[in-house]
Amino acid sequence: MPNTTKESADVVLRASNLAKTYDSWLPFGRRVEVLDGAALQLEAGEIVGIVGENGSGKSTLMQILVGALEPDAGSVDVSGSVGWCPQETRLYDRLTVAETFDLFGEAYGLDDAEVGAARDDLAERLDFERFLDYQVRHLSGGNRQKVNLAVALLHDPDVLFLDEPYTGFDWDTYLAFWDLTEELVADGTAICVISHLINERQRFDRIKELREGALHDDGGEEP
Amino acid sequence: MSRLTAATRAHARSFVRDPVNLAFLFVFPPVVVQVYGQAMERFPELSLGSDPGTVGSIAGTLFATAFVAGLIGLFQLLSARRGDERLLIAGFGRSSLLASRLVTLVAATLVVAAVSLTVLSLGTDVAAPGLAYAALVAGGLTYGLIGVLVGTLLPRDLEGSLVLVFLADMDSALSSGVMAVDTAVADVLPLHHPHAAFSEAVTEGSIAAGDARAVVAYLLVLLAAAFFAHRWVAGDGGERA
Repeated sequence: MPNTTKESADVVLRASNLAKTYDSWLPFGRRVEVLDGAALQLEAGEIVGIVGENGSGKSTLMQILVGALEPDAGSVDVSGSVGWCPQETRLYDRLTVAETFDLFGEAYGLDDAEVGAARDDLAERLDFERFLDYQVRHLSGGNRQKVNLAVALLHDPDVLFLDEPYTGFDWDTYLAFWDLTEELVADGTAICVISHLINERQRFDRIKELREGALHDDGGEEP
Repeated sequence: MSRLTAATRAHARSFVRDPVNLAFLFVFPPVVVQVYGQAMERFPELSLGSDPGTVGSIAGTLFATAFVAGLIGLFQLLSARRGDERLLIAGFGRSSLLASRLVTLVAATLVVAAVSLTVLSLGTDVAAPGLAYAALVAGGLTYGLIGVLVGTLLPRDLEGSLVLVFLADMDSALSSGVMAVDTAVADVLPLHHPHAAFSEAVTEGSIAAGDARAVVAYLLVLLAAAFFAHRWVAGDGGERA
């Protein structure tokens, strides 16, 4: 779990010197060094993109940042609440969408009225209102991803981590996604988007590239 | 609504919405009890001390309950592992989550034990139904906790299932008394004392105090082991402030 400590006013996340190696205790197992000295700082109200080629360790980095995975070395300090939209949906297939919100609302410490209001707002904005009574396993890939994103946003987090968040979105939902993130950023939420492909660089305040286990400033040009 | 209640309700809903779970609860036990009983009737020359069909039905009833509970314990952890990880990041306490799984396991064990005992009682006189049910539930919970342990330490569907199948089959064969095995190993197998207690309750109407104590002690040890294994594998995972 990330340490929750008091940071300076603007910095909401500080990750330092992160290292992670996947190793095996079995003979002939493969040792893969994924992160080596990765560092990241996020400030309130900024949106940062992290890019990297397939297998560069982006999802490993994100899992460490949200506390789902322990680094071998380094530290992650977060101030405020965290929202996490993982690349795989990681929801309960046989719960309905509404039941999923109730359960995660309980985990976030929200009361029923807060869960209902946030759920209805997100369902309207991301256009999945008619699927609230569907079991998650019966949703299409795109609608499942909408619910995946909405669960991460349910408690209006201070820091939001999005791992390939718009995979499967249609164009309207893609635009609604960016409208939503712009509002969140304006309200002071720090957003970190991890993707193998970032098309619209102007939407980001900063873009970092994960390469050889560390994060580097990305000097890519707008296509 | 407390977190434990919310998680238990969610797990119970997920459980009953899976037809395979319902088949295990309501179809598997009758089949096993009947097959065990009829199979043993074919071997009347065995010196079992009582009617071979009854011995087989008793063994089948305990095996069905224990095996189904073991599978439920195993898949309670495996099937929802990814969702559980996310729920923990969202702020759920690891202990609350494990407790909710155990509540669902207990409820399912009560059901499968009731179904199994009902099937047994259709063809066999049960001297003390209440005691027999208690012994059966204890045997089921024993394997349910073993399933939780296996799911925690070996979190893979195929490998975990194979461990459970092998252990339950060997345990059932050795504890039922069909094979005359007199070793210390057989005495410490998980179903040894539950089988003795269940047989006594069905045929004699009472349970020896030594068997009852051993069953409870076994359960407590397994409960503690499951709890500590869960924390050891996943860290402390305390509630987020």
